[in-house]
Amino acid sequence: MTLAAFITRSRREQEDWKYTDLEALLASTNKTFNLDTGFRRYDEDGDNRAYLLFLNGVWQSARSRFGSVPSCILMGDLESGYQLTLGEQTCLVAQPIEMVFETDSNAPAEIALKLSIDIGKNGRLTLLENHLPSNTITTIETDITLQSRAKFVHGKILASGTHLALHEVRVASGGYYNNFSLLRGGHPARNEINVTLEGEEAQAALNGIMLLRGSDHADTTTRITHQAPNCASRQVYKTVLDGKARGVFQGKITVAPHAQKSDGYQMSRALLLSDQAEMDARPELEIYADDVKCSHGSAIGALDEDAMFYLRARGLNETQARALLIESFVAETLDNVQVEAWRDIFRREIGEWAQ
Amino acid sequence: MLTIKNLHASIGGKEILKGIDLSIPAGQVHAIMGPNGSGKSTLSYILSDRAGYDVTEGSVTFKGRDLLSLNTEERAAAGVFLAMQYPVEIPGVSNMVFLKTALNAIRASRGQSPLDAMQTLKLLRGKASAIGLSEDMLKRAVNVGFSGGEKKRNEILQMAVLEPSLCILDETDSGLDIDALKIVADGVNALRSPERSMLVITHYQRLLDYIKPDAVHVLAYGKIRRSGGAELAHELEEKGYTDFVNEAA
Repeated sequence: MTLAAFITRSRREQEDWKYTDLEALLASTNKTFNLDTGFRRYDEDGDNRAYLLFLNGVWQSARSRFGSVPSCILMGDLESGYQLTLGEQTCLVAQPIEMVFETDSNAPAEIALKLSIDIGKNGRLTLLENHLPSNTITTIETDITLQSRAKFVHGKILASGTHLALHEVRVASGGYYNNFSLLRGGHPARNEINVTLEGEEAQAALNGIMLLRGSDHADTTTRITHQAPNCASRQVYKTVLDGKARGVFQGKITVAPHAQKSDGYQMSRALLLSDQAEMDARPELEIYADDVKCSHGSAIGALDEDAMFYLRARGLNETQARALLIESFVAETLDNVQVEAWRDIFRREIGEWAQ
Repeated sequence: MLTIKNLHASIGGKEILKGIDLSIPAGQVHAIMGPNGSGKSTLSYILSDRAGYDVTEGSVTFKGRDLLSLNTEERAAAGVFLAMQYPVEIPGVSNMVFLKTALNAIRASRGQSPLDAMQTLKLLRGKASAIGLSEDMLKRAVNVGFSGGEKKRNEILQMAVLEPSLCILDETDSGLDIDALKIVADGVNALRSPERSMLVITHYQRLLDYIKPDAVHVLAYGKIRRSGGAELAHELEEKGYTDFVNEAA
């Protein structure tokens, strides 16, 4: 989906874009990011992590590192879209794959990425998308299909930039989709995740952290549809806002008439560090079945003054005390990250942001 | 070590401390006793520069410096430690990380190089076992799920790790059973030294059976009404605070 298509959508579905006025935000964005400083590429860490490198949207097979991952894992091109297909019973979890999206001075003004991921029966995939800072507008449309009992642990890190993502995820019976997204800014960023639990006992866990300051605007919009009985979904989102940043969380859980014994949970919490920051949270439940367990919650608060005093009385300065309390605030979400190596990456990103 | 002169302080415009004079020489332990609402906790917060507690008159000198000109963390760096009556829970941050961050912040202010993870671990293990805290409690989130006694012991652990020169213990005995009280008192006594002074704030005499003070002061209605030796605590235990309350009224 191109930028133009996103704009058309935002005009058509105004209610869904109420808090993120895409055209106005794009018109007011004039920020240029330094592409060389402030961010570490994880492939430089000297470990043997496998990664697929994309430069200006084009996959660089020769500059990628496959490790134990077969090099035929990814097919396609920027024009027609990339496909990642995992056959039945195939597992790619021993070595988590990272997709690194990088742009340089030759990048076009807009890049429209298309990705489709298909995981066969009982297949297992662990994949981290790492979007480095960019001055290019990136749109990314991702179609994900999990066949029965397939499991996909999907991570995403977004540094600052204009980034519009739309995920369409379909989970067959017994399948499990786990998403963790860390948004470290956005001018604007919109991370839309639509999950349809199509088969019995399908599960989804969506977790995310948004860290926003200055004029950042980031929007997480999720829609989970329980279409079959005995499905479960869990969502925990944490947003930290400073400066004049604006955060948006919209989460909708729909339970179809015959989807009995559905279990849905959704929580959004925001921490405001500045009185000029703004958080808009809109949780929605739409339930057509009668035997379900669904709950949602939303809370917005400031730093705990007692805790700040406690930490400062132990010698931490205000910045250190704040950083520790931010770490504390997002910890619950971080605990839900299934890959230990990623937890360290996310923790480091959060620590850098909070300093 | 600490000299307080004619200290007046208020909360939200209401005067709580009405002229405190107190001097604690190095190496001494002084106790402040008093009825509820006498200003005991206010004094401890004033000494730590807590927001909302305002000094309106008077001076506080600590090791020759004007303490009131420093903010909370500068006072901690200078060697003031307040063991809190209600230690705060910080979910998601391990006690270890908290102690390491605090220790290195204090070390940095003293011009010392930070300790690395291994050095910190070694130090913390030693200090923790000395006051009967298990290593498991170092790994748990700060004060989360700690019993009242464990929280107070955790305060003493922080005190032992940060090695302050003035320890203020604000109602450290509150909510402790007799066994926990003994353990906390042992931890405090182990930290007594000629270079370290202590201000023990308590409502009851019982803590002072275990932490023997060099002087006892009675605070009522914002002023120190009487000072004396350890025997004053016993007198209060028998007679209560009624005399002082009447005197002030």
